[in-house]
Amino acid sequence: MSVPALEVSGVSKDFGRIIALRDVTFSVQPGEFVSILGRNGAGKTTLLNIISGVSRPSEGTVQLFGTNPSDRENKAKLAVISHEMFLYGNLTALENLEYYSRIYSVPDAQERIETVLKDVELTHRRFDLVATYSRGMTQRLTIARALLHEPSLLLLDEPFTGLDQHAIGMLITLLKRQKEMGRTILLTTHDLHTATALSDRYLVISKHKIVKDGLIVDTNPDKIRQAFFSSEVEEGVS
Amino acid sequence: MMSTAFSILKKDLRMEFRSKESILAMWIFSLLIFVIFNFTFEVSRLVMLEIAPGLLWVAFVFSGMFGLNQSFSMEKENGNLRAMALMPVDGGQIYVGKFLSVTIIMLMFEALIFPIFIIFYDLQLSLGMFMLIPVLLAGTIGFTSLGTILSAVAVHTRNQQILLSLLLWPLVSPIIIWSVTLTGMVLSGEMTEACYPLLVRVGAFDVIFFTLSYMLFDFILED
Ligand SMILES: Nc1ncnc2c1ncn2[C@@H]1O[C@H](COP(=O)(O)OP(=O)(O)O)[C@@H](O)[C@H]1O
Ligand SMILES: [Mg+2]
Repeated sequence: MSVPALEVSGVSKDFGRIIALRDVTFSVQPGEFVSILGRNGAGKTTLLNIISGVSRPSEGTVQLFGTNPSDRENKAKLAVISHEMFLYGNLTALENLEYYSRIYSVPDAQERIETVLKDVELTHRRFDLVATYSRGMTQRLTIARALLHEPSLLLLDEPFTGLDQHAIGMLITLLKRQKEMGRTILLTTHDLHTATALSDRYLVISKHKIVKDGLIVDTNPDKIRQAFFSSEVEEGVS
Repeated sequence: MMSTAFSILKKDLRMEFRSKESILAMWIFSLLIFVIFNFTFEVSRLVMLEIAPGLLWVAFVFSGMFGLNQSFSMEKENGNLRAMALMPVDGGQIYVGKFLSVTIIMLMFEALIFPIFIIFYDLQLSLGMFMLIPVLLAGTIGFTSLGTILSAVAVHTRNQQILLSLLLWPLVSPIIIWSVTLTGMVLSGEMTEACYPLLVRVGAFDVIFFTLSYMLFDFILED
């Protein structure tokens, strides 16, 4: 087997007395599309922050493509989409994308910028300040920005939450295309539908631990639902 | 690669000149200081010469605070601080970019405010005043090199501006005091050989502050 795109081993994280993750271990092969399911407070965002290297685990290790997540080569391969926009309102869409393409040393930047702007249907508004964009447009530009440097590993933290219908459709199309191109994708969600419709594999996090790790193909949706909800029932008791 | 630093510099200056937030605040604040001191205190020209250097630096550094606060506040919007931590670049490059943008904005402001200061206080222009250029440069760089890293520390907290002041003033005050002394010497035409060691000392602190900040900046960006 090739070097895993992601290897999480024995990761725990506490914030003072608050436990966020307990002994989480799993690995993801290149090209896999994994959904991480879990209800609010389960530790999904914390896990993604540790994987992306912006937060340190209290215990355990994370490796991206066999090396440390905060290595520069790894950061260049990574894209994060979360509720944070990562855009400057006081710059135009074009200026934002030009800035990030220089930071990420994107080759043939102008061409690439044109492509991503077209993908999210914002070409006609590229000279406008992002501050003047509607919420949906800003979200689409966030997606364009994330895909600008053709990342090989995408981390998406509840990417569909708060998105309008148009942006949801667009993101699904783009994610499918990323998957076809062999990119590795990790997506957190509390929505079973997206998990089963898009991904190859799912992990259920409950009480800060992974309680289920299964492939979508050999599991019928009811089984996943069961795993997900039984974990919720457990949590309800505590 | 310096290209990262220059990309950040270009973006910052573009945003700053577009919003004019700190630039406007700097101007209003400085003019206020000059007006207040000019019309509230009836002092003789001799006394004026005594306090003018201090007044000038009060205007510079308090205005500089607006620039410093703005420099990382603009990164707070839309989670861009997080985006910075994710960028595949050396933290030192981000520091250089931020340092350069704040320094350039401050120096431009100083260059524009100085003539107004001369007029307000009816000072005599002389050729010797050229020595002000290295003095202002050295003092400003000391202030901004330290201020840039400290505002990156402070921006993570809720009381950003208070924390910045608390951290910055004790550390930067020797540089400001020496700069005031040097400015006084230049303005009164007493810039003699004896001043150079002092100027060199300010320059040495600049180098130390800058180098340390450059090396430490990677750690600041992580939360
Ligand atoms: N910066 C933080 N400081 C303190 N507690 C935190 C912090 N981030 C997350 N937590 C806590 O860790 C737990 C997991 O949170 P999170 O990873 O955001 O869950 P999820 O994304 O699954 O909703 C929660 O109890 C949350 O309150
Ligand atoms: Mg979350």
